[in-house]
Amino acid sequence: MPKALKSTEIFARGLWNDNPVLRQVLGICSTLAVTNLIVNTLVMNAGLIFTLSMSCLTVSLLRKYTPMRIRMMAQTLIIASYVIVVDITIAAYLPDISEALGPYVGLIITNCIVMGRCEAFARNNPPWPSFLDGLAMSLGYAAVLLTIALIREPLGFGTVMGYRIMPAGFTPWTIMIMAPGAFFTLGLLAWFLKAYFPHVAEEKKER
Amino acid sequence: MKKRLFSILYMFFLTLFFTSVVSGVKLYNEERIAMNQQVKLLRVVLHVLRIPVQEGASPQAVAQIFAERVKEVEVRERPLYIAYAEDGETISGYAFPVSGQGFWGPIIGLAAVDPSAAKLLGVAFFRHSETPGLGARITEERFTGQFKGLPLYPIEEEEKIFYLKAEGTGQAENELDAITGATGTSRAVEAFLNRELDYFLEAIRPELKRKG
Repeated sequence: MPKALKSTEIFARGLWNDNPVLRQVLGICSTLAVTNLIVNTLVMNAGLIFTLSMSCLTVSLLRKYTPMRIRMMAQTLIIASYVIVVDITIAAYLPDISEALGPYVGLIITNCIVMGRCEAFARNNPPWPSFLDGLAMSLGYAAVLLTIALIREPLGFGTVMGYRIMPAGFTPWTIMIMAPGAFFTLGLLAWFLKAYFPHVAEEKKER
Repeated sequence: MKKRLFSILYMFFLTLFFTSVVSGVKLYNEERIAMNQQVKLLRVVLHVLRIPVQEGASPQAVAQIFAERVKEVEVRERPLYIAYAEDGETISGYAFPVSGQGFWGPIIGLAAVDPSAAKLLGVAFFRHSETPGLGARITEERFTGQFKGLPLYPIEEEEKIFYLKAEGTGQAENELDAITGATGTSRAVEAFLNRELDYFLEAIRPELKRKG
């Protein structure tokens, strides 16, 4: 049994060293889909933070009882339940955003980050670190999505949170509104961060 | 064997537990979600019929205005909303749903005409899956506002009620601005909205004549 991880270490991993989007390249589908407006991104982030933390916690609480063979089935059930709760809550209290996000909230179920963390971490670790791991990973995801949205919305619509910030003569970059815009933004972002802030472990290996 | 049985029972109770929780949440919020959708439709109906609703009016307030000013009937198996002026007797317009295939998926909206079905009062789209920032701009007032006052009568044979032209190039009264960068959506709207308007006018004009 490996030594229990410190919570600072868990957060450092989730937010930076093992960032789910930039380092593990997971959850790309929703990264491309919902980042053209900051408001949508914020709601999506909140949904994922809740789903991932709670799923990790639940999977961890049940880890000693869940039979090995059916663990994936159980995880999917747990994740799906939380996602549907999120979906219903958004539809009930934020109907406009629910409409804008369309099927993407439901698709959190298939977001690889969620099951990935349940499999890789939560099912072998105690509840509290698992919860923190879920929280840290989803915050890492949220940070990347927000960064991309902060690039896409001003360039694609000329606005930030709906407020116009670009000068009147600014021609919106149509490509930034569509998925390919996110693809290029994400690629450039990952490239930039990798080039200027090399991964700690990779650096050590090279020496 | 025992292990297998345990797996089955475990999964059964886990499923039972989680589906119960989800069902509970759903039941608790069901009314609210249905209300949201209903009020969204009512708002759009009132909007195209040009019945003023205060900004930020509560769902109950919207429902009340609707109840006072609009009557819903059925024509050719489709709903028809009859709007009454504030006196509660004079008809101020008719609204009806319009729908068709957009560029990415179905578009559902409403159109309203004046009491003699000679002019459009307004058009609004409330369900669609067009590209945000491009085709999705069909929901903006900048686009739908053009339809206000569009003449519907008389229509020449072979001629459409309206045409969508490149922005700023429209000459005639029935040549409106398409959405730049969303040619597919614009074409789709032109096609289905003309068709739906024709369909509705055919249905309602004989009725109006009989009454008038």
